[in-house]
Amino acid sequence: MRISNFDDLERIRKRGLSKIAPNKPFIGVGVGTCGIGRGAESLFDSFAREIEERQLNIGLKRLGCFGFCSEEPIVNIYIPNKPLILMHRVSENDITPIVLGVEKAIFPYRNILCRVEEWDFITSNLTYGRGYLEHPLWNEIPFFKGQKKIVLRNCGLLVPGDLEEYIGVGGYYPLYRSLFEMTPKSIVEEVKRSKLRGRGGAGFPTGIKWELMAKAVGDQKYILCNADEGDPGAFMNRNEIEGDPFMLIEGMTVAAYAMGASNGIVYIRAEYPLAVQRLKESIKEARKKGLLGENIFGTEFSFDIDIVEGAGAFVCGEESALIQSIEGKAGRATPRPPYPSEKGINGKPTNINNVETYCNIPVIISKGWEWFCPKCI
Amino acid sequence: MKKIEEPQFDKRSIEEIIALNGRKPGALLTILEEIQESNEFKFLDREAMEYLSDRIDIPLSRIYSVATFYSFFNLEPQGKYTIVVCRGTACHTKGSKNLLDQLFLLPKCKGAFESGESSFTTEDREITVKTVACFGQCALAPVVAVDGVIYNNVTTGQIKAIVKKIEEERDNENIKL
Repeated sequence: MRISNFDDLERIRKRGLSKIAPNKPFIGVGVGTCGIGRGAESLFDSFAREIEERQLNIGLKRLGCFGFCSEEPIVNIYIPNKPLILMHRVSENDITPIVLGVEKAIFPYRNILCRVEEWDFITSNLTYGRGYLEHPLWNEIPFFKGQKKIVLRNCGLLVPGDLEEYIGVGGYYPLYRSLFEMTPKSIVEEVKRSKLRGRGGAGFPTGIKWELMAKAVGDQKYILCNADEGDPGAFMNRNEIEGDPFMLIEGMTVAAYAMGASNGIVYIRAEYPLAVQRLKESIKEARKKGLLGENIFGTEFSFDIDIVEGAGAFVCGEESALIQSIEGKAGRATPRPPYPSEKGINGKPTNINNVETYCNIPVIISKGWEWFCPKCI
Repeated sequence: MKKIEEPQFDKRSIEEIIALNGRKPGALLTILEEIQESNEFKFLDREAMEYLSDRIDIPLSRIYSVATFYSFFNLEPQGKYTIVVCRGTACHTKGSKNLLDQLFLLPKCKGAFESGESSFTTEDREITVKTVACFGQCALAPVVAVDGVIYNNVTTGQIKAIVKKIEEERDNENIKL
């Protein structure tokens, strides 16, 4: 079924919310690449077997990575109207105590990492419940203390690739707002005033880049997402795509509307097979729901995203080399100017941003530039 | 010693791959990736590249330039099992060199890497050893991938065990670390 108006969106939001906070308990296993490396897949299967054998009324979910990779596998325990409990370093031996404990709300103490009473999804708020005062709050433990999750707001709490859950926490409302309440010009203005800077590392002001691209004339324009992250020790783009692929898709769609483009390409490393797979599935799902492809939300605006998989060349993270690679050549950097916004893929105007830059866009549209950059007022 | 069949390239599957991907952006990369995937020994043989060049009207020199530029493409037949050791900074500091040294015990492996090769396949085409710059798993270094499955906090003992296992159970499709 295609989503074509506000009522559809509301209906799906309610359905999504009842999946995120259902009225029966569930166990969520973090199955990002980090979790899987620590055995989360087999842990998930063991949980499934245990629940089935004991015929318990407990749901089971595959979640993304909550962001504490060295403590994987992380398991979330949800009990209605109680705080969400996060357990760390869970092993096969802990399965029976955990599964049996869910009913009585007693857990193996050494596995408990923290509790989450309420969560700011930024596009919405959710209160799980109060209690379990003996366990620390998530932002009381040293690792998370001082963190404010903006881009990773949904990671580890939603099922990656489940569109209903993404809409359930307020996703795709920013796109709706962009299409029906804003103009391409006012979106660029909003991004410009938010002072969002390119998250790929160079920190070029995104709004200015978008403005150049919006002004560029061309029968076809490309929105390009650089997910060829290769610096040793950096894996934020992998986490973003694996944990919450829809925020990237939504961010790119808003960008396309703002700059008048109809083609999107995500250039992603082949070393991230799980991210590629989740992104592919999510794009397919978004197309099915009418949030990508022809006439998005029933409007005149059409936009679609293709995926190009890199083939293992570090230099392709540089934008001109990346464009060469997409054109099917060896990825050698070319001199600039001309900049991609004048002459990019096949000589057409192209806007390149990092994954994380696009992921910030729904937040800026939803909360406004004043919220994103209080100092800019 | 096992008899090694000479690889052959399959015109029909190349035609299918071209028909499916010919018009997409980045088509050449995708086509080459899929041709390599469809090959039994996971490599691009010369005949396949020549045939492709004729079919899609791209000079062989450019196809060769792409195939040699990207580390994902293999120009030599690959082993049945692939062990990829991460040599990124985080893994290096956590001792991934020792893991590679363990694999260097395979005959001729050390020589191949020291002469500048980035991948090595045993003569019986059982094991391919490769290195990669970073898997993005740095919090759990050192990282090794076996047939595409990523394992964290790997020890030399585990590497030793898997090499032994591969040598003992040649037909096991499901080798795990």
